[in-house]
Amino acid sequence: MLKRLLNNTDAPDSAEIDEYMRVGGYRALKVALDASPSDVVEEVKQSNLRGRGGAGFPTGRKWEFAVAAEGSPKYVVCNADEGEPGTFKDRVLMEKNPHLLIEGMVIASHAIGAEHGYIYLRREYPRALDRLERAIHDAYEHKILGDAVCGTSLRFHLEVFQGAGAYICGEETALIDSLEGRRGQPRTRPPYPVTAGLWGKPTVVNNVETLCNIPLILEIGGAAYAKIGTPSSPGPKLYCISGCVQKPGVYELPMGTTLRELIFDHAGGMRNGHRLKAVIPGGLSVPVVPADAIDCPMDFDSLSEIGSSLGSAGVIVMDETVCMVRVAHRAAHFYEVESCGKCVPCREGTGWLGKVLARILVGNAEPADLSLIDGIAGAIYGNTFCPLGDSAAEVVTSIVKHFRDEFAEHIEGGGCRAEVA
Amino acid sequence: MPRGSGMSDGVTTITMTIDGRELEVPEGTRVLRAARAAGISIPSLCDYELVEPFGACRMCLVEVEGMPRLQTACTLLPANGMTVITESEVLTKARRDVLELLLINHPLDCPFCDKSGECDLQHMVLKYGPTTGRYTEEKRLVPADHSDHLLARTMERCIACERCVRICDEVQGASALTMVGRGGDTRMEPFSPDAFDCEYCGNCLPACPVGAILSTLEMHNYRPWQIDREVETVCGHCGVGCRLVVQVRDESIARIASHPGLGFNRGLLCALGRFGHEYVGSEDRLSTPLIRREGDLEECSWEEAISFVAERLLRIREIHGGVAIAGVASPRCTNEDNYVFQKFLRVGCASNNIDSLSRLGFAAAQHYLESMLGSGITANQISSINGCDAILVVGGDPTAINPILGTTIRQAARHGARVGVLGHAPGLERFTAAEVVPEYVEEPAVLEALLVEVAAASELTDGAIDRKISAYVEEMRPSCPPPDGFVDLVDLLVTAAAPAIVLGPELVQRSDGYRALASVAGLTRVLGARLFLLAEGPNEQGLVDVGCVPDRLPGGVPVGDTSAGKKLAEMWRGSVPETPGLSLMELVEAAGRDVRALYVMGENPAFKLPNGSHVHGALSALELLVVQDIFLTETGLLADVVLPALAWSERDGTFTNIERRVQRTKRAVAPRFGRADWKIVCDLAAAMGHPMDYAGPDQILEELIQASPLYECLSHGSLDGDGWLVRRDLQPQELEFPTGPWIQAVRREGRNGVSLGIERSLFHSGTTSRHAPALRPICPEATAKLSSSLANELALRDGELVRLSTPQGSVTVPVQIDLSIRDRRVLLCNHYEGKGVLGLLDYTVDPVTKAPGLEACGVRIEKVEVEEA
Repeated sequence: MLKRLLNNTDAPDSAEIDEYMRVGGYRALKVALDASPSDVVEEVKQSNLRGRGGAGFPTGRKWEFAVAAEGSPKYVVCNADEGEPGTFKDRVLMEKNPHLLIEGMVIASHAIGAEHGYIYLRREYPRALDRLERAIHDAYEHKILGDAVCGTSLRFHLEVFQGAGAYICGEETALIDSLEGRRGQPRTRPPYPVTAGLWGKPTVVNNVETLCNIPLILEIGGAAYAKIGTPSSPGPKLYCISGCVQKPGVYELPMGTTLRELIFDHAGGMRNGHRLKAVIPGGLSVPVVPADAIDCPMDFDSLSEIGSSLGSAGVIVMDETVCMVRVAHRAAHFYEVESCGKCVPCREGTGWLGKVLARILVGNAEPADLSLIDGIAGAIYGNTFCPLGDSAAEVVTSIVKHFRDEFAEHIEGGGCRAEVA
Repeated sequence: MPRGSGMSDGVTTITMTIDGRELEVPEGTRVLRAARAAGISIPSLCDYELVEPFGACRMCLVEVEGMPRLQTACTLLPANGMTVITESEVLTKARRDVLELLLINHPLDCPFCDKSGECDLQHMVLKYGPTTGRYTEEKRLVPADHSDHLLARTMERCIACERCVRICDEVQGASALTMVGRGGDTRMEPFSPDAFDCEYCGNCLPACPVGAILSTLEMHNYRPWQIDREVETVCGHCGVGCRLVVQVRDESIARIASHPGLGFNRGLLCALGRFGHEYVGSEDRLSTPLIRREGDLEECSWEEAISFVAERLLRIREIHGGVAIAGVASPRCTNEDNYVFQKFLRVGCASNNIDSLSRLGFAAAQHYLESMLGSGITANQISSINGCDAILVVGGDPTAINPILGTTIRQAARHGARVGVLGHAPGLERFTAAEVVPEYVEEPAVLEALLVEVAAASELTDGAIDRKISAYVEEMRPSCPPPDGFVDLVDLLVTAAAPAIVLGPELVQRSDGYRALASVAGLTRVLGARLFLLAEGPNEQGLVDVGCVPDRLPGGVPVGDTSAGKKLAEMWRGSVPETPGLSLMELVEAAGRDVRALYVMGENPAFKLPNGSHVHGALSALELLVVQDIFLTETGLLADVVLPALAWSERDGTFTNIERRVQRTKRAVAPRFGRADWKIVCDLAAAMGHPMDYAGPDQILEELIQASPLYECLSHGSLDGDGWLVRRDLQPQELEFPTGPWIQAVRREGRNGVSLGIERSLFHSGTTSRHAPALRPICPEATAKLSSSLANELALRDGELVRLSTPQGSVTVPVQIDLSIRDRRVLLCNHYEGKGVLGLLDYTVDPVTKAPGLEACGVRIEKVEVEEA
């Protein structure tokens, strides 16, 4: 497929502004600036673009809310806190195509009437930081950022803010807390960030990949964009494939590409001739699907129909050598240390889940512990403040559901016998 | 308007059903609070009525018809037709699950946890279970932290509801606490590494639902159910008059508690109110009368003391007339005490020579402002600050002088009000939108310039008052260039829809204080602002209102008003002298000459008046000095007779706060010794042949209501609850601006332009806090506070000893560099024995308000070697 978001990223200097402009960069911005803000919002609505951070909320509607919200100034915030295990697409975009993101943000600022923007970047991405800062500097030099964007009356200032290593700050309200200098914890909604976000002002928070789709929409038009991918999940999509495949990496494919095509046609199939056992299709926050589900198209609706989710499209592929108890334990441990501590079920429940799974792993468990896991997960699921707790419970219960026998074997057989990779 | 919504009191309401009951609730009120208001209790651990909804503990989960998931009632917004169920099997299970999770890391050390018995977690486990837990692994271990002398943290008990962090941040505005750690390791820590670096308001203590944060004053002393009784009363520390609860055990104060929402202070207290009560039970209290024999104060009987004083007063009155007798009343005494005191002086001693140390601030300013703008101009409710969109703070830091008023300003700022500060208010630093820090002496001039600008930006009419303002402004035309921040300050005021002005004592204690007051009056009038006057004592307004001023009788009636005088003479069975008496500083000047006897009730002028050596000499020159107090003070040491009185919480009566709210202060503990101030005065009056018999404070109040036109509508019943607000009468406004010749500020700076100023500490209350061990470690000694630039210039480092000398005396104290100070002043507090700032200051009396002007007193600073000290 034609690479849109990763256009020209094979070129060694794809991150340079001259190279970006050479291949047509910042043309979409000119188109947007010639149009009225409401026309831009309309175009994005027509494209039916859905947020690429995981929740899949229609971007055009989010912008519309921010336009309608009272209060000024308004802010555009890019969520570049790519912390979802198995996900590394935004990193590639920021390292190889930073001007695409900047272009998307300037268009967003024009659309909603923001004069300041922030890129909330996870601290673990030092190269992305370098590239973004250089790109922002060059964009100022070229008057793409500043007090007169492209010679118009539009003002837009952009800066990078580094997070401090908390997974929860990928949640947009926790991100805003952190951006304000507080400890990042999700906030009560309503009010939503579009009405009261950063410093209590209307704020659009969009994922890196979402914003990188904006120039494309402006360039080819919302209607044409909507024809890419599936009708309910249009557009190109970056899929991250990791785990037991021959060629892990980021692949740009239309929305709705099946898992099978992704793994076998693009990622080169399974490693070392092993068998596919399970897939986590959307980063560690979504339920595991077993091998027989791989004909499912990778889009928002299809995956939720089979009980999982597109999430961040971080596809983690596991073969028969992988111990699923270990996977469950690893997931629970991740959620325990990444729980922000705000609500009880997530704070206490994830740790407890981890401890019980650890006992199963070392052969210190009893059969009743399997129902205890269900009980703890049941106490978490649906009862937490933000989706993080739900995710922890869902991942673990999906693994237990699909691979219950493996857990029973561990309990009866005195622990894990798989070799640790 | 959607179906079912209505309007009630201008608020849109929503109709919803909770547990089968149809309720009309205000739009925007979250379901948990709406239910609570309707008497339906939904369990919660993280909800706290003083802070924003949080949604963390998940105990308040409820079922909502049509919503597949359980919802947290604390964050849920009601909608028309919403149907909510608060108790069901599903919910009990969900709550039991939450509690089981909470208990896995909770130490369950209830047997020795002080919270046991009043612990929300305990209550809820009792109601919802579980009776056993399935958790078998190790619990988290977090060592208890006792590094702070006042606030002990046992974070294993913490349930991470963040109520402490939220109240500190959202309400107190101190932002001293945060949560640290993730997952099960989440716990609260102060930002400071060991001890708390905070305002010690202790508002986090009642906020904690478990025993994670406790006051060391009460730890392991008793169980909550061993309290003998609780008495709701009014704090005795400052002019705000917060309502609080005294918990009594074995006839002593076990704890100062507060219930969220209690009183207009909503249950909030400051460090003094919560922890500054130990002086009441101090071993240093005066227990018997003392009389001077052959130069020494010796214990004597009440009879001897009273008859000695009576005899001496009678003799002085006989020989020199009543004008030779004077009295100093006290803002720490009740309205009843002060009323009886002034009555005794007026009819018992035939003297109007009565004043108080409120002359140094509140009384001086209040009278002047009322004379310009009408009665009650300063009587505004503190809570109304929340509705203001611009707040101008001048003359001191409200967060130190009247802390709860200060935190109210912070809350208003948090909700969008713009705060402008003229001068030094470090407690508002993070909340200030505009700030002008002129040289201290120039502050009245800046205020005048502010009035000029604000008047120019306002549409003055050609009404009589506006014309006076125009004329005054015309005369004022300031010559100095506007200081930094001035334009912002003007903008803040002229764009305000609902402004407030908060005036502190520093602008009153000046030779030219009346000019500052005139400008404040003008600004108040032009802006239509609410005016708040800070008061250091708990009953400064009451003191004025019951007539403890030389020129006015109870209710503010001028001395010499013949009809009022006649009425009072009848009621008091004695004649009231018709010429105004001497004001405070005039009394001092006249001591030993025209004034031969001074009766001081609950006050310490020897320590708390400027030019200490002069005052000391004046008091020593008296023929008779009588002091009635709870401690043997500097003034007591000079007295001929010292009479032990009762302290706050030992006696009944009323205080009037700065809002002019009359509130009951109640007896909570039985006094061990001493007599009520009013009783001592009555005993003395009887001994002088002028019996004043009262059965108790209630009867005195009865008479006061008759005597004072201010209290016409006051009845005993109306004092219950939140007290009674004196009616404002702003109609007869004279607004007479002062005319020249203009008094100028007196500059007494030393060669290098360094002057000495008063530090008003949040952690001290006059000299009573000397006897409050809980507060002393917070700032354990008097220090010379100065800016880092001045310290550099004088080559001084933190902790080095310096001698501060003025012509009035000198003290030796350590240096403390204070980053909030930005001018060339050295600040010293007036709390520590022998190291008070006031005694070192020279003064010139403001000719209009009669307040002593203390501005710009030069000081010499010399480094002192340790051996020398």
